[in-house]
Amino acid sequence: MTEVVTYREALAESMHNALERNDNSVIFGQGVDDFKGTFGTTLGLAEKFGAQRVQDVPIIEEGITGICMGAAMNGLRPIHVHIRADFLFLALNQVLNMAAKYKYMFAGHHEVPIFIRAVVGRSWGQGAQHSQSPQSLLSHFPGLKVIMPSSSQSILESYDYLLNDYHSPVVSLEHRLMYDLNFDVDRAGLRKGEQSLASYVARQGSDITIVATSIMVLEALRAAKHLEAFGIQCEVIDLHCTSDITEEVVLASVEKTGRLLVADTSWLKFGTCAEVARLVCENIPHRLKAPMKSVGMVPTPCPTAKALEDLYYPNLQTLVSDILEVLGESSSSIQLPDEKSMADVYKKFRGPF
Amino acid sequence: MTNSNNYEALYRQALLIRRVEEEIIRLYPSDKVQSPVHLSIGQEAVAVGLCSLLKPEDRMFATYRSHAFYLAKGGDLNAMMAELFGKVDGCCGGKGGSMHLAYPQVGFMGTSAVVASGIPNAVGNAYANKILGKSDLTLSVFGDGATEEGVYHESLNFASLHQLPIIFICENNQFAVHTRLQARQSYAIREHVQSYGIDTFHIKEGYDFCAVQTQFAQMLESYRENPRPLFIEIDTCRYMEHVGPGEDFYGGYRDESEQAEWRANDPLLTDLQTYEALLPAVNQLIENSVAFAEASPFPTITDLYQDVY
Repeated sequence: MTEVVTYREALAESMHNALERNDNSVIFGQGVDDFKGTFGTTLGLAEKFGAQRVQDVPIIEEGITGICMGAAMNGLRPIHVHIRADFLFLALNQVLNMAAKYKYMFAGHHEVPIFIRAVVGRSWGQGAQHSQSPQSLLSHFPGLKVIMPSSSQSILESYDYLLNDYHSPVVSLEHRLMYDLNFDVDRAGLRKGEQSLASYVARQGSDITIVATSIMVLEALRAAKHLEAFGIQCEVIDLHCTSDITEEVVLASVEKTGRLLVADTSWLKFGTCAEVARLVCENIPHRLKAPMKSVGMVPTPCPTAKALEDLYYPNLQTLVSDILEVLGESSSSIQLPDEKSMADVYKKFRGPF
Repeated sequence: MTNSNNYEALYRQALLIRRVEEEIIRLYPSDKVQSPVHLSIGQEAVAVGLCSLLKPEDRMFATYRSHAFYLAKGGDLNAMMAELFGKVDGCCGGKGGSMHLAYPQVGFMGTSAVVASGIPNAVGNAYANKILGKSDLTLSVFGDGATEEGVYHESLNFASLHQLPIIFICENNQFAVHTRLQARQSYAIREHVQSYGIDTFHIKEGYDFCAVQTQFAQMLESYRENPRPLFIEIDTCRYMEHVGPGEDFYGGYRDESEQAEWRANDPLLTDLQTYEALLPAVNQLIENSVAFAEASPFPTITDLYQDVY
């Protein structure tokens, strides 16, 4: 039995439950208690749980991250929200030098249960500083958990675990374009504990493995649907926790299909695509029947103009074309989708923010 | 405690710290301590005077130059020596070393090697104390160089905005590595702090643990009447090089004569009668700690992978 829950509703429910289940949970962030309530995900919580527990903060990204850490070392469970992931860069000293290291450097004396939400922007002119997706940077550092939920189900299950039963620092990269999308949620099927972070097969197939993150999971599913009509079966894997890829899920799929494409929300160099390639090359290089391909953003900063932005991001047409290339199929025999702007598909998101 | 007993207790603590660091200097060429050391020699009285008035529940967040604060706050000497030797019985199992000492059992929460980065952690600890209704003190210890960092300003602002129960301690030794304060700061530290609405104090006699204790006691009274952010600047003098076991007058950036006044007032250098009386027992403790560290095993590959998440 499923119900329809938007990405935004799943986030709001998770925030509410975190406060309700644990008296020591607090939410910090710019505007978390204002009339927009972090795109509607924290609306009404300050009124219900008190201003002290849902608190607007000065514009001090590094400071608040360090404050969250100190509070976490003294019994609180802080959630810190960045309305754009780009702002998290100001806090990297606390995230990478401090939070990711405190447990290890002090031999387990301290646990630092801080949960950082960072929203990745895309389309409607987000430009160079409102659109970055730093999963590869963050996943590089031991000590951090990095997740990229691609559905409401994924939010509900992984946030429930990480906000209640996990005790080390987490960064969740949410995707702004998905906030208003509807997802089917099967509450009885919500994964529990560590299992909620595992990479999983989002669609079964036998011809090619598409490993994807965040909104690219949805794109991969759309591409798979398009190709199904031509008799091509794509297997789609949602990596979800980029810092702790469930290697056996990826390897088992590639063993089966022999073909691989990785679709990520960021640049290719030193990125998630490179990491999945490492995983396959180190373990089962002989199982690849053809060279793999990577799909991501072109190697430039993000431009603001829509004409350029549409060239900067992959779209369904380029994604399908790349899949066909890995398969060695000629695109003359298989029709490409006539869709050159992914943002238009998810156009429920219109500006200004 | 009588005055003379108090003096002797503080002297013993300061002497222990200095002798521990002199032992580190002695051992350093043996390569048994394989990590950078930022020695506190010359600055011991600050830690000793302040910590003499703290309870184990009072929490302190400090810096890479914290051998003195670790010991004065009650951190175990054997565990510190084993930590410097990189052994499993170290206070952080050898994973922290000199720059990352911690002994939370006595409220010594940890030290960071990135200037100023521990300050917001202390503010967060104070924030939790406030909303959880705990009355323990929180102390944030840093040097004059830290006041140049952005996160220091962010922390002062937040602490004042929420009137958090926290005491900021600025150990002003006038130097950031080899650079004088005048070459780094366009502001006066306390005046600038006052612009955040935070009450400031100044202790000039950073060489005298009794003076630090007496003045800090008065400041604590003011704090307890009205728990709020307080800022205390304490003048002090780093006798040794920024990092390493030696002096660095050869570097030409400062002159021995600049330290003459500090050394002339340093009880560890001037009150030789007490020094001689306490030295044998202190040396014995240090000898024991070195033996403890030597005997402790090295960590293994199991330890390597522990406590990442």
